[in-house]
Amino acid sequence: MSESICVLPCNGLDKCAGDLSRRVALELAQSAEVALICPVLLNQNRSRYEKALAAGDLTVIDGCNTRCASKLAGDLELAIKDKVNVSEVAKTLDIKLGVDIQENDDTRAVVQAVLAKVNSSAADQAESEFIEPEAVEYNSFSHGKFIFKVPQSNYFFNENDCWVTVSGNMARVGVSDYVQQNLSDILYVDPPEIGDEFEQFDDLGSIESSKAVFEIISPVSGTVVAVNSSLNDAPEQVNESPYEKGWLVEVKLRDFSEDQDLLHDCPAYFEFLQRKVAEIDV
Amino acid sequence: MSESTFMGVERDRIDWSPRIDFSKCNDCMDCVKFCPHQVFEVDENAKPKLKVKNPNNCVVFCRACAKTCGPDAITFPDKTETTKMIKAIRKAEKAAEKEAEANE
Repeated sequence: MSESICVLPCNGLDKCAGDLSRRVALELAQSAEVALICPVLLNQNRSRYEKALAAGDLTVIDGCNTRCASKLAGDLELAIKDKVNVSEVAKTLDIKLGVDIQENDDTRAVVQAVLAKVNSSAADQAESEFIEPEAVEYNSFSHGKFIFKVPQSNYFFNENDCWVTVSGNMARVGVSDYVQQNLSDILYVDPPEIGDEFEQFDDLGSIESSKAVFEIISPVSGTVVAVNSSLNDAPEQVNESPYEKGWLVEVKLRDFSEDQDLLHDCPAYFEFLQRKVAEIDV
Repeated sequence: MSESTFMGVERDRIDWSPRIDFSKCNDCMDCVKFCPHQVFEVDENAKPKLKVKNPNNCVVFCRACAKTCGPDAITFPDKTETTKMIKAIRKAEKAAEKEAEANE
């Protein structure tokens, strides 16, 4: 087996988005490096693809936001290396896909854009300008069998359980210990595009476990400068080290003093989280 | 949950919850399965089966259910407007507090 990439496409053969997933998958399969995985057979008899999956990284192509292909990978606990959603790509091109299967300029443009996205997944990014703190000290509290950690200082949080830590006009964003424990094993990190400008409380991609998808709600406004590419191979770093190695996005800040108006410092978030955890279990 | 707040502002003063376009909704109920906060309710006997039962349980600024929606039937209020409104309420409350202190 020489294939180094496995492609698992949506199987929605009766709808336009599904048909486009199929067309993208067939294009990709022209390459000798790519092994196609049929979602129906995978679901029925995983062992059929065991060899291919062991040898290659998994790329998932979802047709629409029902995300059947992603969910199937999640259910089978397959680590997803790269992922693309045909309907999301169509949206960025301002193309309405509709239900009926079509072969025209619009659908061809979507197929090309999805292919370009799959091939450019290793986006160029500048060297990190963020100066990492030397050692982060934590406070913790326990609730039942869970222990929740919150840094003692230098981190700020929104009430959506996302943090930001600042060095000069640069900052890093991630999720709190509470989020990673709630999701349990994180299988995939869907990062934003480098260069994207965003407002406070816009979403900055998402992280996904077999249990759920969690939207990263940005604590600050700014521009995406880098994403944590080490999470491609090791998304479990978000579980193991949510405040340090598991950072998600590096950003250039726009107006942090304005953002801070709607953020908690560490002691305030610690209190907020204690209340939240107590309330949820009641 | 009655005393819940977002950044110190009472939750029921913040208008943030999903809006469903029933001309697009296909009754798949993925949003109901997805949301862990009991925002939605399903009534098998009602005409649209799906209902936004507890809008104030919705996590302010969370739009995740809209992303799980295959037919794209869920929208949310404008985030920038909502942010502005929360800031305005906080400012007014701080000013009121100060005034109360000054009058003591």
